[in-house]
Amino acid sequence: MNSEHIQLPNKDKIILSILGIIGLISLLYIGANDDLGHTRLWTNLLHNSVYFTLVALMAIFFLCVNVTAYAGWDVVFRRVWGSMSYFLIVGLLLMGIIALGVYFGWHNLYHWADQHTAETDTIIKGKSGFLNKNFYTIGGLGFIVLWFFFAKKMRDYTIAEDDHGDGRWAHYKSMKFYAALFLPIAGFTSAAAVWLWIMSVDPHWYSTMFAWYATASCFVSMIALTILILIYLKSRGYYHGVTSEHFHDLGKYMFAFTIFWTYLWFDQYMLIWYGNIGEETIYFQTRIQEYPILFYGNLVINFVLPFLILMRNDTKRKYGTLIIVGILVFVGHWIDLFQMIKPGTLHTAMELGDHASAAATHGHEAGTHGAHGHEFKMGFTIPGIPEIGLMLGFVALFVATTLHFLSKASLTPKQDPFLQESLHHHV
Amino acid sequence: MRKYNVDVVYGIYDDEEKLLHAVRQAKSKHLEIFDVYSPFPVHGMDNALGLSESRLHIAGFVYGAIGTLVAFLGMTWIFTRDWPIIFGGKPYWAVPSFIPITFELTVLFSAWGMTLTFYTICGLWPGVENPQLDLRTTDDKFCLAFNTKDVSISDANSFFSESGAEEVNTKSI
Repeated sequence: MNSEHIQLPNKDKIILSILGIIGLISLLYIGANDDLGHTRLWTNLLHNSVYFTLVALMAIFFLCVNVTAYAGWDVVFRRVWGSMSYFLIVGLLLMGIIALGVYFGWHNLYHWADQHTAETDTIIKGKSGFLNKNFYTIGGLGFIVLWFFFAKKMRDYTIAEDDHGDGRWAHYKSMKFYAALFLPIAGFTSAAAVWLWIMSVDPHWYSTMFAWYATASCFVSMIALTILILIYLKSRGYYHGVTSEHFHDLGKYMFAFTIFWTYLWFDQYMLIWYGNIGEETIYFQTRIQEYPILFYGNLVINFVLPFLILMRNDTKRKYGTLIIVGILVFVGHWIDLFQMIKPGTLHTAMELGDHASAAATHGHEAGTHGAHGHEFKMGFTIPGIPEIGLMLGFVALFVATTLHFLSKASLTPKQDPFLQESLHHHV
Repeated sequence: MRKYNVDVVYGIYDDEEKLLHAVRQAKSKHLEIFDVYSPFPVHGMDNALGLSESRLHIAGFVYGAIGTLVAFLGMTWIFTRDWPIIFGGKPYWAVPSFIPITFELTVLFSAWGMTLTFYTICGLWPGVENPQLDLRTTDDKFCLAFNTKDVSISDANSFFSESGAEEVNTKSI
């Protein structure tokens, strides 16, 4: 049972390919119906690349947390996280494209990347030690390489342990060393990466809660995706060792970190509002006025529904409710990231855009004048159908990458010291 | 704990796995178990005994909801009707500033409510007498008891010797 290698049915491969093609068509559609600066294309690319890269980071992060904490319950399916983290290779490629764009001015995603603004705008000038093209490229991509280094170490050791593991636990001890080393590194670099990639689309704005808020978002998505992938693999006859006890614990994590995310979502607002930090209210002003559906819907999808559904004991153990909440939360946090990135990039495109389209401009003006503030523009103030298609494409890419690396080795570590504990896990 | 007024026959085990095994055996032989005693919670014992899920958490939800309403409506009444004061230039009905207190009172109500409900159900109040079947079950022994009305002493004796009990005793509690 433990030495199974997955062999997916061809039907599923075709479905994944179709999803991938849908994503590609959506990308082309967005590119063809875009303004001259390709604002919509680049923002969607940034949005999805960052989201899925951070989900991969959270997978390796949580794997290392469990190794460091002597956690045994997850060993039976731990390689799913190890494989999910290998999406960092794809993430490096995608963020590399965006970084090249920053370097050579292919897009107007970041206000601070504009040479003229960086010299004249006082606030951006003050932040230019961090927000500059070189740091974005070398730092941002360097972080991904660093994360991948640890993901590779963890995977190499666990696979080597399968064949050469013995009672001295040499591989396990090495894994513990690298896992513990990774935690502080991941803690600081993930925050810096979120500042670079997401928060800097609003370069005038600043929030101490933001890095936590964005990473918590991706953490919940990672747990949701893990649950969905595990349920899928179980439905295909793999992972007999994963029982409702494991799903119960994963469900608890989804429940707990949903509340953690809400705490950060609310506190970010509350600190600025109650602290009378007027200059930082611009972030919420834009979102509440121009993105009301996303702003309040965000709270409903990502807090109210999962909170009420997952509160009971048995809903964390049943596939039906887990699938519903998993999909809800995964899409919900994707939307969360959409409303983190979109307003800032559209504003930047309008500020810098000698070529900004009417569409992008319209979205901004609607909010400023307030007269017709409730006109929604597909792909700008709410995700349109091509955006959803692109997300499906990225999901297919992510799942295909995960399954590819999962199929390269045994599904369950054979020699892990905690394997028996995991197989007999009981909540 | 109430007085049961029953005669029980009980076997002492020296290991929780033996106890768990004995409970499963008794269940499969349809012997009605009066109770089991253990110095610590035994993993899987709830399932083996076939105990129904506790309904305490439903009470917890109700108490929490009451706490939410009390806090939110209470603050709303105080700050808009009873004694309106402007804090930090915020409106009277400043919802975001109510959230932390609403959260705290939700937790407080559900925690206290559940604790008191639990004590009431179990009859755990100061001065309660706690009859122990065998004091060694508070240290390192495990015990499985049958009501002599449900299971005859001879049946119990053969069951206990089969399932590896160290000793068998009877007692009125």
